[in-house]
Amino acid sequence: MSQIEFKNVTKEYIPGNKVLDDVSFSIEKGEFIFIIGPSGAGKSTIIKLLTREEKPEEGQVVFNNQDISNIKPEEMPDYRRKIGVVYQDYKLLNSKTVYDNVAVSLEVVDSDEQEIKSVVPNVLSLVGLLDHSSYYPQELSGGEKQRVAIARALAHEPDVLIADEATGMIDPDVSDEIVELLEKINSLGTTVIMATHDQRIVDKLTKRVIKIQKGKLVSDKKGGKYRA
Amino acid sequence: MPKVWNILKNYIQKERLMTISNILVMGVTFLLLGIFIEVVVLSQTMLKYLEDQAQITVFFKDEFGEDKIIPFKDSLLSDERISEVTYISKEEALKIFKDINQDQPVLLESISASVLPASLEIKTKKITDLDGLTNELQSKDGVEEVRFYKDVIQKFKSVSNTVYIVGFILVVVFFLISYSVIISSLRTAINSRGQELEVMRLVGAKDSYITKPFMYQGVFFSTISAFLASIIVFILGFVESKLGVFSRGLSFGFLPKVFMNPVIFSLILAFILILSGFVLGYFGSKAAVKKYLKY
Repeated sequence: MSQIEFKNVTKEYIPGNKVLDDVSFSIEKGEFIFIIGPSGAGKSTIIKLLTREEKPEEGQVVFNNQDISNIKPEEMPDYRRKIGVVYQDYKLLNSKTVYDNVAVSLEVVDSDEQEIKSVVPNVLSLVGLLDHSSYYPQELSGGEKQRVAIARALAHEPDVLIADEATGMIDPDVSDEIVELLEKINSLGTTVIMATHDQRIVDKLTKRVIKIQKGKLVSDKKGGKYRA
Repeated sequence: MPKVWNILKNYIQKERLMTISNILVMGVTFLLLGIFIEVVVLSQTMLKYLEDQAQITVFFKDEFGEDKIIPFKDSLLSDERISEVTYISKEEALKIFKDINQDQPVLLESISASVLPASLEIKTKKITDLDGLTNELQSKDGVEEVRFYKDVIQKFKSVSNTVYIVGFILVVVFFLISYSVIISSLRTAINSRGQELEVMRLVGAKDSYITKPFMYQGVFFSTISAFLASIIVFILGFVESKLGVFSRGLSFGFLPKVFMNPVIFSLILAFILILSGFVLGYFGSKAAVKKYLKY
């Protein structure tokens, strides 16, 4: 049984203009997958369909055997907690410290103080930022900000971690550190989906690569390369 | 409960100017709402007082003496439309004339009781019966003249009805203004925290977690503004009571026999304003946050 399935998914933001056209693939639990393609290919739309920020016009997006288009609004918070997302622009709250930025993902589900005090240092330690707990985002480098975003995404132990162009705003050395961290998280059993157009990273890791071009799935290879 | 106060305290500390302007705008709106209700009630009260004093005065010819007027008065009392009949003899008419014209001794010297006509002052249960009764009495034997200040009452009645209708429309309009002020001020607050809310939703925040602070803000600002307006409305009612303009109290168009002390009325009005503030705050904030909960 696949953890995630895209079944003949078509998405149009403007009627007649297909951003995704009849895309089908499945992802098993614990996989590490790259979704690659040029800008505007439809990578971010796949992510938005997974996080249910968007719904498909045709086809189904299935998560753990459930068509996520059918999730009721009151069930959405539960679903979102199963999926951690890391964005290119980090989406950190500048008015909160590193600790509080991570704690927010537990506070929003009414976790008690005790749980927050135990979980937040653990995830900050996992991403190597425990000693930066009291820093504010503006005091951090790009790579450190992305680590905070990863720590926040991991706080409620998601089944899937999605990185949407997570290395897009940081230099290559730091990008490697972020990818290593994602590999580490993947080795602990979390499915990792990374949307990127960074050829160097894709070629270095030789993981499964799904290539999207002009809204169509053009290749899906295990151990794939960016230009294979 | 302490969490609610923490949320409000944090917001007020961060957005002092916004807090003051929101309370001022909503406070003025609620105050105008209260004043319009008060104006409507005052005009209804004045109309009621005027209507109660409205009467027909029937003057009799000199040859129609007291021996004929008294039985005529008794026959009028059996008429169901009539509530009160007072006989004013020639002597009493002179006394009234003297009281009115105390400062004109020359005029008083030339007047005697025989010159003034005896009369009956007639009040009806319904003001609408005055007109018909006037016509009937004019044709009775011994009646010289029937006076009824119809125009004054009709004019005031039409002004009062206009105030009633305009006041009602303005009350509805100000309700809508209060509602939109709450929505727009909350939308501004929500927009200024757009990224924070987006992050909260992406990390799986429950709807209640996102909406609660805004609901608290909306209800708090609206209720506080209504409370401040109600203090002023209560003071106005207190001053009204001290002036003692309406001895029997305030009257309401839809409750003809009820008279209420202005202080009690302003207390009720203050309570209505605070309740309106709470209800408008609740529904206004609910409407303001609704569009941010669509998945």
